[in-house]
Amino acid sequence: MNFLDLIWLIPLFPAIGFLINGLFGKRMPKTAIGVIAAGAVLLSFIFSAGAVLQLVQLEPEARSHTKELYEWFNVGQARTGAGGLAEFSVKWGYLLDPLSAVMILVVTGIGFLIHVYSIGYMHEEDGFYRFFAYLNLFMFSMLTLVLGSNYLMMFIGWEGVGLCSYLLIGYYFHKKSAGDAAKKAFVVNRVGDWGLSIGIMLIFVTVGSVEFKEVAEKVHEGVVAGMFHVSDPIFITIALALFVGAAGKSAQIPLYVWLPDAMEGPTPVSALIHAATMVTAGVYMVSRSNFIYQLAPEAMLVVAVVGALTALFAASIGLVQNDIKRVLAYSTVSQLGYMFLALGVGAFAAGVFHLMTHAFFKALLFLGSGSVIHAMHHEQDMRKMGALRTKIPTTFITMFVGTLAIAGTPLLSGFFSKDEILWQAFSSEHGHVVLWLIGVTVAGMTSFYMFRLLFMTFFGESRVDHHTEHHIHESPKSMTIPLIVLAIGAVLAGYVGLPAWLGGSVFEHFLEPVFEPLPFPQAVAEGAAGAEHHSVGLEIGIAAVSVAVALIGFALAYSKYCKRSWEEQREVRQYGPLYPALLNKWYVDELYDALFVNRAKGAGASMWKFDSKIVDGLVNGSAWTTVKSAVGSSWWDRWIVDGLVRLIGGVVKTVSWPLRLVQTGYVQNYALVMVLGVLVFIGYVLWGTP
Amino acid sequence: MDQFFRMQDIGAIVPELELAVFGMFLLIFDLMVKTKRRLGYIALGGLAISGVFLYQVRNVEYIAYGGSLVLDPLAMFFKVIFLIAAALSIAISLRYLDIERESHGEYYALILFATMGMMFMAGAVDLVTLYIGLETMAIATYVLVGFLRGNQRSNEASMKYFLLGAFSSGILLYGMSLLYGIAGSTRFDDIAAALDRRLLENPTDPISLMAMITLSAGIFFKIAAVPFHQWTPDAYEGAPTSITAYMSVAVKAASFAMMVRVFMIAIYPLRPQWVPILVAVSILTMTVGNIAAITQSNVKRLLAYSSISHAGYILIGLIAGNDTGLTAVGLYLLIYTFTNIGTWAVIVALRRKDVIGEHIDDMAGLYHKHPTAAVLMLIFLLSLAGIPPTAGFIGKYYLFAAAIETGHNTLAVVAVLNAAISIYFYLRIVVSMFMRDATEKTGLTFAPGLTMALGIAFIFTMWIGIYPDPFIALARRAIPLGF
Amino acid sequence: MDFFRQHILTIVAFLPVAGMLVLLFFNKENKTLIRVWANAVMIIGFLISLPLWFWFDRETSDQMQFVEKVTWIQTLGAEYHVGIDGISLLLVLLTTLLGPLAVLSSWDAIENRVKEYYAFMLMLQAGMLGVFISLDFFLFYVFWEVMLVPMYFLIGVWGGPRKLYAAIKFFLYTLVGSVLLLLGILALYFAFPAIAAEHPEIAMQFGTERTFDVLAFHAIAPYLMPDFQWWIFLAFFVGFAIKVPMFPFHTWLPDAHVEAPTAGSVILAGVLLKMGTYGFLRFSLPILPEATKAFVPMMIALSIIGIIYGALVAMMQPDMKKLVAYSSVSHMGFVMLGMFALNPNGLNGSIIQQINHGISTGALFLIVGMIYERRHTREISQFGGISNVMPVFAIVFLIMTMSSIGLPLLNGFIGEFTIVMGALEENLWWAVAAGAGIVLGAAYMLWLYQRTMLGKVENPANEKLIDMSMREIVTIVPLIIMAFWIGLYPAPFFEVLRKPVDRIVAKVRPDFFQGQPRLNAERVGEPR
Repeated sequence: MNFLDLIWLIPLFPAIGFLINGLFGKRMPKTAIGVIAAGAVLLSFIFSAGAVLQLVQLEPEARSHTKELYEWFNVGQARTGAGGLAEFSVKWGYLLDPLSAVMILVVTGIGFLIHVYSIGYMHEEDGFYRFFAYLNLFMFSMLTLVLGSNYLMMFIGWEGVGLCSYLLIGYYFHKKSAGDAAKKAFVVNRVGDWGLSIGIMLIFVTVGSVEFKEVAEKVHEGVVAGMFHVSDPIFITIALALFVGAAGKSAQIPLYVWLPDAMEGPTPVSALIHAATMVTAGVYMVSRSNFIYQLAPEAMLVVAVVGALTALFAASIGLVQNDIKRVLAYSTVSQLGYMFLALGVGAFAAGVFHLMTHAFFKALLFLGSGSVIHAMHHEQDMRKMGALRTKIPTTFITMFVGTLAIAGTPLLSGFFSKDEILWQAFSSEHGHVVLWLIGVTVAGMTSFYMFRLLFMTFFGESRVDHHTEHHIHESPKSMTIPLIVLAIGAVLAGYVGLPAWLGGSVFEHFLEPVFEPLPFPQAVAEGAAGAEHHSVGLEIGIAAVSVAVALIGFALAYSKYCKRSWEEQREVRQYGPLYPALLNKWYVDELYDALFVNRAKGAGASMWKFDSKIVDGLVNGSAWTTVKSAVGSSWWDRWIVDGLVRLIGGVVKTVSWPLRLVQTGYVQNYALVMVLGVLVFIGYVLWGTP
Repeated sequence: MDQFFRMQDIGAIVPELELAVFGMFLLIFDLMVKTKRRLGYIALGGLAISGVFLYQVRNVEYIAYGGSLVLDPLAMFFKVIFLIAAALSIAISLRYLDIERESHGEYYALILFATMGMMFMAGAVDLVTLYIGLETMAIATYVLVGFLRGNQRSNEASMKYFLLGAFSSGILLYGMSLLYGIAGSTRFDDIAAALDRRLLENPTDPISLMAMITLSAGIFFKIAAVPFHQWTPDAYEGAPTSITAYMSVAVKAASFAMMVRVFMIAIYPLRPQWVPILVAVSILTMTVGNIAAITQSNVKRLLAYSSISHAGYILIGLIAGNDTGLTAVGLYLLIYTFTNIGTWAVIVALRRKDVIGEHIDDMAGLYHKHPTAAVLMLIFLLSLAGIPPTAGFIGKYYLFAAAIETGHNTLAVVAVLNAAISIYFYLRIVVSMFMRDATEKTGLTFAPGLTMALGIAFIFTMWIGIYPDPFIALARRAIPLGF
Repeated sequence: MDFFRQHILTIVAFLPVAGMLVLLFFNKENKTLIRVWANAVMIIGFLISLPLWFWFDRETSDQMQFVEKVTWIQTLGAEYHVGIDGISLLLVLLTTLLGPLAVLSSWDAIENRVKEYYAFMLMLQAGMLGVFISLDFFLFYVFWEVMLVPMYFLIGVWGGPRKLYAAIKFFLYTLVGSVLLLLGILALYFAFPAIAAEHPEIAMQFGTERTFDVLAFHAIAPYLMPDFQWWIFLAFFVGFAIKVPMFPFHTWLPDAHVEAPTAGSVILAGVLLKMGTYGFLRFSLPILPEATKAFVPMMIALSIIGIIYGALVAMMQPDMKKLVAYSSVSHMGFVMLGMFALNPNGLNGSIIQQINHGISTGALFLIVGMIYERRHTREISQFGGISNVMPVFAIVFLIMTMSSIGLPLLNGFIGEFTIVMGALEENLWWAVAAGAGIVLGAAYMLWLYQRTMLGKVENPANEKLIDMSMREIVTIVPLIIMAFWIGLYPAPFFEVLRKPVDRIVAKVRPDFFQGQPRLNAERVGEPR
């Protein structure tokens, strides 16, 4: 059975699941719904696995299989580039190459686990069928996104996942906050999509196609033919436009504001959409367009800087959150920042690698937190938790693994991927030591706030109120098993991408054909000389640093939140002095300023404020301005434009009024007017005409 | 100039004579017949016979009475219009006069005389003949306007109409005498020739211009063009509705027939001078007419103003002065006859024992009580506004076409905008008829004659609207290539 | 059958009239019979219009097909000349599709003066079809004006509180536009003979007599003096732009929409507005190429203003129907933007978007109508949490909202994307500005959806609302199907549009297709 030709089935299964559950779910038993939904995803997973296996057996350069179903639309000829004509024709096709292979495995695999988990988690919820229908619809869109053979197919998925995220965030639509969050997510994403669609159009207008492979080829040809040059303005524009889209979908500065609010959705949704899959779409898209970014180093710099800043920014906010899910949300933003840092420094493979590992441990963490929340009867505030490790051991262990992984503990997945990124940020020709420093800082902060989360939740003495105390119970199998599987993944996933000094990365090698560098004349020249290998020692050193930093983070968290159980005042008081030590890693200038006790919480809090007030404020502000200007224009509409119409009416009336005055009814007046008329005429013909 | 009077000249005026004779008879019958309505039928018969005579001479081209009266397609065309107008007006009068308790034989006689006068006007190519015809028509109508003796408005209207009419006739005569002074003849072609010579010497010869001005002033009065229009609303409002109908179509048509002859033959040499005046008058007329109509709430006054504005449109045809333009004049008047009589017929029907039925509210919810009548009224109003597929559109189309063809673009724009504005007050009537609830005052009185008139008006309005070819052909034939 | 095939257009266009005439003889008390009859006529009308789609020859989609030509007013040179090419084909089918739905939707809504109502609906249908099939300018103008009257009555009699104001506003606005249009037509009419006389190839085909034949005007287009074109374009512009409506002329639309009965709004938004855009496509562009190019900046500016402005105002509307009405100002802005990008993408998108707008906005008006029938208010603030009580309705509403804000796999996306694409080919900033419109579109539609459908049911009046009835589902489903069809597989539509559009582009920008193939020579070379 040739799976390669059946890849179009992969998105189809969830679509069918969606239709069945959406149309008939209302009358079906919950188990049936769950089985259908999860089963559909499982099928896609099996087909994906099969296809990927067959793909791997091919020669590396032949590892790219396109399946075109039909011509979606063909509008007609368009002017492209310098007056050339091209058909604007878009195929409904799917492309399986190493990159999409990785993506579909991640999406279907983790997606399946989360489906299973949801069966348990959502069991009490009403609208069970609605939830799974949406979830399947999401799987369909996400798979279309990553499997689509051209930018428009990708765009379908892109918008589709946006829609599903809208529907799922707003799942508890009777909660106003949920509705708002959903709308905010969609509209903010729309801003990104706007950039993306402009980018896609520009690609077509420049290159004359939107098919990934064709665009790649044409760009190569163009470079060879010397038609495209590095930092060609048009490519910089395209790259930036695309990045606007990526920033929207993957929650980068300044468009990340929607993601924390998105936590209004059910936890599995947060895990699947807002951690593992959808938010990584931006990363996928940018690395998919790597050949364009290679032509626009300036744009890559922007990507790298924005990524780094986002990572730092979000992490620092994460330090002081008390809502278990919000910590994870900011951590996600921060990790996404990492990925863009990687892409920005040209380490596309590293970015995708981290995308994969992150999918594992972040999904794990979210599901774990979900399990906690489930156990705590929908209590999300960590200040009301503590000492849960004995009560819900499985959850504790798995989450512990996840924390270790994300903190970058050696030999766990997070370590390899994060390390690769840091190494690239440090060493690649697009990289810069500052970027690396930021990266390392974030690594430390990450381990700090993650362990803080872990300790506050599972260690210390319990701060749970007595009512819930009794009912705390371990979650059902359908929830714990996925946790275990994911934990295993979080441990092992890294081993496909070992660093060079441990034998090199299979993963990177696998992705090479997708990320093959453009044949610039000078690059070719370097390629000969450019086999300059970095000293293994240096690479190890870099790794050691990040591990050390992670340890510091752990140590701090341990001393603050584990040795002694959490207590608010004490937190402020005691971990104050140590905080600047963490801080000065990235604000060297403020080394001295930050030596005061109460700055600690203040700084974090103010950042949290900044996040909620200023950045949100901007969004709301823009909304407000829009509203106001709309008021203005409707006013204009009512009074000026319409007013003119009325004015004319009024004029007509007023003009006709004196007429009635003249229409006195007195014969002599009439006669007089007649005479006047005659006189006027006479005057006209005698003196008026030349 | 050959022998003045020839026997066969009589033949040229048989239809007119026949009307005169019938008119006389009617006056006599009036003394014997009790139910005056019969007289109406006799009058109709008279018109019919006159029509038959007319039919016999349909293809005759003949100059009678030493070139003072012609028998040509133009005359023929307008005479037909007059007969139709007269017949329809009589048809709608029959019941109406009973309600007004003013059913008298002379009413019908006067209509016949007036019609006769018009028919002479249509054929006149000589100032004297023209003037006699004009006055015959005018005096008859003065009386008819004041026919409701009991009704003070009617008398007042008649008085005004008479005084002003006399005044304008005076101005007209002055112009005519000037022309005679210039040409030494009263025949149009002689006048034209004389004017040609005069203008050759002095292009802006004051005498000729004075003549032109005064002459046109007199004519403007008859066609109710601004600023000589002010008698119209009062006269139309005061006059018996049936007479208003008659005046608004027949008198107007006759005056335009006269105008065509005078302007296109007699003072044609002065065309460069009179075109701008006509443009000004035309623009003024349609604009003032429409704007004034907007604020009227008395339907008769409203339609009076609308008829003023229509005169404004028709002037475009003369301004264009080419084949299309003059065809348009004829065609428009024909269409206007049917449409307008139809409209007035409904107004007439509104008049009942106790209801004056002139206010726009008297039509409220008419649709609910008399759907057919309301729909017909709607169609007539749309035709007046020039909305296809009614006859009115074809007429307007022709006029605008003429304007564009001869490059009077500004005029055309003003005209179409006016046409658009006019829908506003026509729709006021529609709103009242269709979108308001019926009051106990709402209602119509029908009579066979009225119904027939409505039917005819409707048929032609739609027929000309959908398949105008034969009528266009007629109107075109009526325009001698001599122009 | 053969007869049917030869006269199919006439039959399709005049069947409603025939139906109306029969209807007039029914007893006006017998409402059910009248309703059944009207629906039957409309549905039959739709069915007999289907063969057009199958018999239409895709190979010559830029040629007029199903042509009928009979002398009508010889003295004027006006003919009864009808025929359709790819563009009018789609619009005709859109009309025959929306007609029955509109009529069906008014089954319960219209209780008083039922007979007249349906009579006017049928008349309106005939008028609109006539506009799209006329190939004779005189005939076109007659149909163009004819459908004013029934629409006027539909608004004025069965409308809302301010119906009279809205109705007269609609009538006056449109009439002012169309009379100026008439002058433009006349100017062409008189210009033709001279030009034909000079160019034998034209004379050979159309003679040198005065004519209203649209194709003849297309033929003389290259020989019209630019300044002459300029004036005529202006005249046409006023006529069509008011109908579209473009930015400064749009204020009649919200009133007309809000006051009109549901079916009226559906037809108004679904078809009537398209008459304006169709006018531009069929007349302004091909007949006046020079002027068209000269006017591009103005047209684009107005379109973009319309897009953003309509969206902003829509956002502020407290009344659902008014919101949708303003949204169509925005959408029609897109249509015009695409059209005056003057390239295949823009024009194709613009036409597809016309169809889309007919479908989506038509459906939205139906939806608003349904909720209005239940609550007799359209105040957004009156609603909230409706999806709790009317789940099916909520889903339908959601689908149509998504189609209206251009979500992929739904029709709106295809149109908007190709339009913006076309705009971007000409100028990046046009596309950027239009993009802003798309974002705003999402904002106001979702806000509407959130305020009406999501949240808890606060207003007790909404607690007992019954979900969509079978009839209502039947009225809306065809539109949903169309929305998905165009979204998933628009190729058949582009197929019929392609050639006519290329023809227009070639007429307006003769140099367009001369562009030198660059990277993709092999693609351009391949025959299609």
